[in-house]
Amino acid sequence: MADAVAGLSAVTKSYRMDDVTVPVLQGIDVEIRPGCFTVLLGPSGSGKTTLLNLVGCLDRPDAGKVVVAGTDIGGLNDDELADFRAENIGFVFQSFNLIPVLSAFENVEYPLVLAGMEPERRRRRVSRLLDAVGLADRARNRPGQLSGGQRQRVAIARALARKPRLVIADEPTANLDSRTGAAIIALMRWMQQKFQISFIFSSHDSGLIKAADDLIVLRDGVIQSVRRKPEEGRAAATATAKREDEVGGAGADAPWAAPRAPLPDTDFSFLQDGTPAAP
Amino acid sequence: MLTTLSLAARNLLRNRRRSLATLLALAIGASSVLLFGGYAADIRATLLTDYVQNGGHLRIQHKDFYLFGSGNPTAYGIAGYEQIVKAIEDDPELKGELRVVSPTLVFGGLAGNYEAGVSRPVIGVGYVADDVARMRQWNEFGLPEINGPYALVGAPDDAVIVGVGLARVLLLCQKLQVPDCPRPSAADGASTEQGAALPDDIAALAAAEPGDAAARGAAAAGEVSLELLATQPRGSPNVAAVKVRAAEDQGFKELDEVTVKLQLDQAQRLVYGKGEPRATAIMVQIEHTARIPQVAARLGQLLERTVPGHALTVMDFRALNPFFDETIALFNTIFGFIFVLIGGIVLFTVGNTMMAAVMERTAEIGTVRAVGLRQSGIRRLFVTEGFLLGCVGAVTGVVTALVLAAFVNALDLSWLPPGSSTPLPLAIRIFGEYGMIAGTAVGLVVIATLSAWLPAWRAARLSIVDALRHA
Repeated sequence: MADAVAGLSAVTKSYRMDDVTVPVLQGIDVEIRPGCFTVLLGPSGSGKTTLLNLVGCLDRPDAGKVVVAGTDIGGLNDDELADFRAENIGFVFQSFNLIPVLSAFENVEYPLVLAGMEPERRRRRVSRLLDAVGLADRARNRPGQLSGGQRQRVAIARALARKPRLVIADEPTANLDSRTGAAIIALMRWMQQKFQISFIFSSHDSGLIKAADDLIVLRDGVIQSVRRKPEEGRAAATATAKREDEVGGAGADAPWAAPRAPLPDTDFSFLQDGTPAAP
Repeated sequence: MLTTLSLAARNLLRNRRRSLATLLALAIGASSVLLFGGYAADIRATLLTDYVQNGGHLRIQHKDFYLFGSGNPTAYGIAGYEQIVKAIEDDPELKGELRVVSPTLVFGGLAGNYEAGVSRPVIGVGYVADDVARMRQWNEFGLPEINGPYALVGAPDDAVIVGVGLARVLLLCQKLQVPDCPRPSAADGASTEQGAALPDDIAALAAAEPGDAAARGAAAAGEVSLELLATQPRGSPNVAAVKVRAAEDQGFKELDEVTVKLQLDQAQRLVYGKGEPRATAIMVQIEHTARIPQVAARLGQLLERTVPGHALTVMDFRALNPFFDETIALFNTIFGFIFVLIGGIVLFTVGNTMMAAVMERTAEIGTVRAVGLRQSGIRRLFVTEGFLLGCVGAVTGVVTALVLAAFVNALDLSWLPPGSSTPLPLAIRIFGEYGMIAGTAVGLVVIATLSAWLPAWRAARLSIVDALRHA
């Protein structure tokens, strides 16, 4: 799987709670296919969020190897990791995690400010993103003035602002009603299909599970199963991906460890088309 | 524009009550420091003005006069002082620097009120009255009047001013109509204002000096007369009958009970008789205190040129009045102590506020770190918030202090310096003390910024995963 957007090899992770060490992930081997809608499933405490944190470069494994977008994150220091996240990974959180003192526009703009993008270009991109998520008219509103669904749409726009290769979404619909959750899933699915950006979720939302290309089931810190849709059934094109139904088994020298070329269509020029229709 | 500064400002406005409480602590701290500093600055200005108005910025005198002159001042008289005064006044380099160059003569003697049968040792000081009057107009700091008009201006040669304490001791208060001047018990027959007439031998000595007969005539006409006895350089006594024009408080009780001020000519006749008149010092008052070192250096050069091989020295008012520096040092120490105290309060207040902000915004810290902000960015954000708190607090404190100072100054209060018997105007001098304002404001801003450093450092070190769990 030379084009895997992320891969974990023999990864273990544990946390200390008082004097007790609690193992969370126990020898995980898995690959995330590019341009896929990947959902992590599993009961509470199975290690979904920990796995997402590792793929999202928010945490480091105790042992094993994590490679994201062709880069072994074990070799990056804290600043390099921050830069890497900024360039390659977008985040959508269960509680939206918007900055309350910034408007919707500024929340989306923030990652671009960190990137040092020129103001006019920044403004254009943010406007298009907000337009794309249907919030052009709420650009000046602060998060407190937006509904839950609107906040999550702002969070999605923020996650996509720097044209990431991978978007990590931890229970993105958990704090939304079912109708709004469905709309958010539709929006993310549309974005994923349009840009072939890889999305990886942890969720119990049946709507999200139905929309998934790949399902990774975790239990007690190990991967119980990986179910992937066949290539021809996926909207996103990843020509080299092959179907896998078994538990991921990539080693330390797995092919996804090699750097890959940037996604071909990540210039967001499509955003000029306006608000997307339902996928 | 989304910058660290604007983000920091918005974060501060997020919890207005907490920010306001912190700002209040900062502002009160800043204004407290400034009010005390302004008070100390006013004391410095008042003392300095008082010294300079009475004795000039610089004095040229015999190099031993300061340490030994009080025993026998006339032994340290400067011969040919007029030549030095002229050289100073004519010096082109000092043009524009000088206000007054004036000789003065200090001598020790006895003053007697023979009518009351009392006498006591005194220190006589001869001045050129017009020069003293001009010196009293020097007011570099724009203070209210400290020393009133000099009573000997336009007065005859035999007119003198005595200290209020001396008037009291010599039982002259009633005649001079000095207010609040206690009188001794009438039971003591030796201490009344109705004493014996001037002894014949003393009267004969006094009669040898021109003008004294007129003074005695004035005394006979009900005016207040006094006999001054001085020792001439060769040891012979000389007496002058003088007319007391006024009693003037000399500030310190010790001085007030011994001071007699008289016209320079009269003092010189009394001390030197028909010999060459001398001065024990030449007072030099300049326009700007800050120019003392330059003027002193130039005076030294002029002395070398005018009186080669001289034994003279140039001393500034601070060297001549150690009390000035001691007072300023005392106030500076108290100021420093208050600043450290306030600084400590600011340190903990701002630190506490920032720590609370870090706790409150933990999830947000995790979010912006996840989005790609480096640890240094987090540190910068919180330190900027501390800096902003410091800036706004310091500015508010400065404005508050200026308003309070204006209010206090409008009350026209006065204070009595330690050891002094003359109340001085009390004011709080903040406006114009730009160094103090800047020092205090910058100091508090630096402290506030440093206070935010530890919380900022801790915020930056938060684990992103742990921080995001706070959402």
